[in-house]
Formats: sequence, structure tokens, C-alpha cells
Amino acid sequence: MTLDTFEALSVLSAILGILILGTTLLRTNLSFYRMHTLAIAAVTAWIAHITKEDHLYVVALGVFLIKVIFIPNFLNWVMKKVDVGSDKQAFIAAPLSMHLGALMLGLSFLLSKQIPGLVGGHDSHLGSTAAMSILFTGVLLMLTRRAALSQIVGFLVIENGIYLFAVTQTHGMPMLVEMGLLLEVLVGVMISGLLLFNIKKSFEHIDVSQLTELKD
Amino acid sequence: MNEFGSLLFLPSIAAILSLVIQNPAVTRKFCALAAWIQLVIVLSMLSQILTGHVPNLPFVSGLAVDRLGACFIVLTTFVVASCLTHADYFFQAAANRGDEYSANRVKVFYASTNIFLMAMTTVFCCDSLGYLWIAIEATTLSSAPLVYFERNKYALEATWKYLIVCSVGIAFALLGTVFIFAASQRGDIQAATLNVSELIAGSKALNFPLLRLGFIFCLLGYGTKAGIFPLHTWLPDAHSEAPAPASAMLSGSLLNCALFGIWKVSTVILAANPTAPAFQLVSVLGTITVLAASLLIIRQHNLKRLWAYSSIENVGLMVFAIGLGSGPLFFLQAVNHSLAKVALFLLAGNIIQATGTKKLNKLHGLMENAPSWAAALALASLAVAGAPPFGAFVAEMSLLTLSLTDHRYILALTITIALAISFLGILSHTGKVIFGAGKPNFKHFAEKRAVAIPVLLILCSLVIGLAVDTATWMPGYDHKHISQTQRKVAEVSCR
Repeated sequence: MTLDTFEALSVLSAILGILILGTTLLRTNLSFYRMHTLAIAAVTAWIAHITKEDHLYVVALGVFLIKVIFIPNFLNWVMKKVDVGSDKQAFIAAPLSMHLGALMLGLSFLLSKQIPGLVGGHDSHLGSTAAMSILFTGVLLMLTRRAALSQIVGFLVIENGIYLFAVTQTHGMPMLVEMGLLLEVLVGVMISGLLLFNIKKSFEHIDVSQLTELKD
Repeated sequence: MNEFGSLLFLPSIAAILSLVIQNPAVTRKFCALAAWIQLVIVLSMLSQILTGHVPNLPFVSGLAVDRLGACFIVLTTFVVASCLTHADYFFQAAANRGDEYSANRVKVFYASTNIFLMAMTTVFCCDSLGYLWIAIEATTLSSAPLVYFERNKYALEATWKYLIVCSVGIAFALLGTVFIFAASQRGDIQAATLNVSELIAGSKALNFPLLRLGFIFCLLGYGTKAGIFPLHTWLPDAHSEAPAPASAMLSGSLLNCALFGIWKVSTVILAANPTAPAFQLVSVLGTITVLAASLLIIRQHNLKRLWAYSSIENVGLMVFAIGLGSGPLFFLQAVNHSLAKVALFLLAGNIIQATGTKKLNKLHGLMENAPSWAAALALASLAVAGAPPFGAFVAEMSLLTLSLTDHRYILALTITIALAISFLGILSHTGKVIFGAGKPNFKHFAEKRAVAIPVLLILCSLVIGLAVDTATWMPGYDHKHISQTQRKVAEVSCR
């Protein structure tokens, strides 16, 4: 099995994603998220280079500007404003969840062989492994962390996994769809960031597991 | 493209103006008027499709309206116009009670409502599954400020859940969309595409395993947004914490958008293989949702949550209609549900404003306090529960008939039992609200004006129930055709 550059980069981004699970310091989480997304932007650019699809360069640039530069900076700013440094009392301790993440990477490797229809010769097996592993990482983040900020990061990681799957398996969806998607993520993060201020203001914490006032 | 632009032109202007105009009283009147004008514009632009002279109206590649979509656009615009007309009363009544909302909040409310209307109109114009996804996510983002309108702890919790649960759910629909795109790339189709019309045209050439996988992800993703059991957890919270006009819009038009997404994806898999076992999942999910919601209706303690669970039940029925492959029945059920449920949420808003409580065990004697509200509430509950002669009865009857001709006896039986349970549950709850001794501190304002819109909606539902011959008017009443082909294919495959 030969390892293409873009496959190596995809796996790198999956590993950087797993590292997000390894700490409960929100600032470090965001740095790892930034690097993880940077690897994904690089994958996009590299695939654009291989396939000669120029529109992917634009998408890579969009990913870089919005998801690598703007969103982590915005979330850092939100974090400073609400004055929360770490995600205490995660449901599963950070080292354990990182190991779970690594286990998921192995599981994704087996699972990605099972996806029907993606077994043809020209499909990137490692690409879909990485994408699926990132997806699992995001789900794990959302399930095990309590701080609202970690939930946002978890959602962003899930979205990255889906995006990576689209890029490696289909070489990018139509340009307008990709751009709409980026815009949607941007607006979604900004709205949830603003909500986060209000959660801090009303509840004096950002622990979403304590939001249980509403029930039947 | 110009036509598509003119479809969204008025709401976009209204959104900007509602942020610019400083006097909330002007904004309230102006936005309601703009929504009714928008309804006229929509009707005149889409009249050719609605009457069936043109099968569909393409704008650009990826954006086109078919007859079902056109019907839904008219319904959505009508719902929003009704809600905004009632919102004028709602805000005035709030001011009368002494808790006037700040001008800023009202501005944001109207601006988001108009953007919300644009996003919903776009949903029904989508031919490309990619655009569809973007438009549906846009409806989530633009309606979040509506849920957060009250600015208190409860609203905050409801909005957070709404945003996170729906966004993650919809993310899975995106994964499904990617799978469908991959299915078209790996099939014998000329060029990879996300356009439903092209996917249907080349449906036999698609890579079926991938399409099936994509379909299941889209079903679960859009199902989260539609409130399919057990992915419905955000729905009662958001519907009960939003102000009444917003709850009415969420229930009467937003749910239809997500269901339309499921319908679009269903048409592709139906074209590729009408007897796909994965597609059978849809009607089963619908039945489970109807049953679960009708059981949950019984044990509700909150007036607005009661209607939210009734919405989940109706979503189940619509999903069931989609599972039978019948677009017209899906629309018939949707239009009847929207009319009755919008009336109910608006009335619930009136009652909550007048009594200051949402708790069902503290509400009683509405008949004594405000007889016209009590009458409207009784009629609207009957309409939503599916009693004749209201439109929902026709829809539910045709749904059950169709499922019987399709030999889905167990599902039909389950739905019948569930409908009976929810009928009893809804009527016993509203009975307690209507009858009994009147409340001494019932402060209502402009009683007649408060029921104008609900009565109008009930009348519409009545007209649909009495005057509509389902076999002739419904857009492309072709479910018989579909179910017959399904059966033929099934017979052949059995041999």
C-alpha cells in the first residue's frame, strides 16, 4: 500500500483531532482544532493540485480563512469574555477519552472497508478512515464534555469529518454548496457563541449538563 | 434567477426595514402587510404551476419549483402572514398587560421572521440536495432568535438545545447528501450531480448501496429536525418556550421544511428501487412516532407542550404518508395540520397572556371568561385531532385507506389505535381548560380581535374538509400508480 501525500495529511488531521480529546484545557483544545483544520485545508489544496480542479483551491482558501483563522480566534475571544479556562468534570477523563479516540481510529479503518460502493480501486481507503475517525472524535467530544464551548468544538469537528469525507471521496461537492456550507458554519458558530455569553450571564456557568429545567 | 430573486425580494426588504424602522408599532403593521402582499406575489408567480399548466418552473440549475413545492410555498407564506398579523395583537396585548418588549427585541423578532420566511421559501425551491441542506440549516439558524425571544433561562436552554441538536442532526443529513453525491459519481450517470431531477432521470444507473446509505442518513438527519421519535427531544422545549406567534410558525411551517427534505430524498430512492427495504423504514418510523407521541400527549402538564407533542404526532402521520410514496397525501396532511395547529398555538398564546400560566391544571373555565376563545379552542382541537368534518379527517382517512390497499395492516391498525388515544387525550385536556369555574384574575384584551386569525384558519380547515374532492384537486394524485408498480415489482421478485 502506498501512501499518497493527501492521505498522509488526512491521517495527520485525524490524529490532531484525537489530540483535542487529550486535554480539557479549552485554549489547547482550540489550538489543536486549528492545526487539525489546517491539515484539512492542506488536504483540499493538495487534492486540487492532483485533480486539477481549480475550484478546490478557492474552497481550501475559504476553509483556511474561516475555519483556521476566524473561528478559533472568535472562540478564543468568547472564552476570554466568559472567563472559563478549562472543561472541568468531563464525563470521561481526558486521557481515557483520547485512548478511546485512538481505538475509534482503528475501528474506522475496519469500518471504512465495509462502506458499500466505496470499495473500488480508485477510492481512498485511508481518506475515508481519517474522515470517519474525525466524525467519531467529534461525537465523543460532544458526548463526554460538559462545557458549552466544547460542544461547539465537537460540532465543528463532526463537520470537519464530513467535509473531509466529501473531499477525499468525491473530490469536493459543487462549489456553491461548499461555500454555502462554510457560511452556514460561520453563522452557526457566531450565533452559538453569542448564546454562550448569555448562558454565562444567566446561569453563571457554561455547563450544559446542568441545563435541565425543561421537562414534561 | 430573476424570478427566484423576485420571490425573495419583498421579505428581504422587509427584513432590512424592520431593523431600520425605530417605532415597533410601525414595524408590526408593516411586516404583517408585507407578508400578505408576499402571499399575493407568490400566488401570481406560481399560478401556472398550481393550476397544473406547467409541470415545474426552473430558475437556474439546482433551483426549481414543482407543484408540490409550489403548494408548500403558498402554505408557508399563508402561515407566516397569519402569524405576523396575530403577532401585532400579541405584542399590543403584552404592552397592555404592562410588560412591553423592548424595541430592539421586536426588531430582531421581525428581521429574523423575514429571513426565516426567505429560508423556508428557498427550501421548497431546491432541486439540488446541496442547496436543500443549506436552506434547511438556514431555517434553523434564522429561527433560533425567535425561540430565544423571551430572553430568560428557559428560553436560553430551549434555544441551546434547539441549535445544537438540530445542527448535529442536520450534519448527518449532510453526510447523507455526500453519500448520494458519491453514488452519482460511482454510477453510470454522465456527470456527478446533486440535482434531484437528474438523479431521478438516471436513478437506475446510480450506485445503489451508497444511495441507500445516503438515504438513511438523510432520513435520520432531517428526521431530527422534523421531530421524529426518538429524536424529537428539542421540539417540545423550543415550541413551548418561543412566543406564541413564533411557536405557531415553527410548528406550522418549519416542520414542513424538514419533511419536504425527507420527501425529496425519498423520490430519488423510490425511482431507483420502489421496493427498497430501506424505504420501508420510513413508514415504520412514522408509525412509531405517531404511537409514541399519542402516548406522551396524555401525560402533558403544559398547554404549549401539549400542542408540541400533537405536532410530533402529525409529523409521524406525514412521515407515514411519505413512506407510502404519496406526495399529495403528505401535502394534504401538512396543510390541515398547519391550519389547525397555528390556530391552537395562537389561542394558547392568548390564554397564557390572559391567565399568566401555562400549566394545564391551573387552567379552567375559559367558557366563562372568554366564550369566543373557548369556542375557537374547542373547534381547533377537534380539527387537529382529526374529527369530521375538518380537513384532517379527510387526510387521515385517505392515509389509512391507502395503507390498507397497500397491505400494511399492522401499521394501519397501530396508527388507528394511536389516533384514538390522542383524540381522547387532546379532548380531555382541552375539556378541562374550557369547562369549570372561571378564573377570577383573567385579564384579556380585545377578545374579538384575538380570535380573528384562529377563526379564519379553522374556517379554512373546514372548507378543505367539506369542499375538497381529494381525487381531483390534489397535485399529481398518483399514489395509486406508485403503489401498483410497487406491488408488481414485489410480485415479480417473489416468483
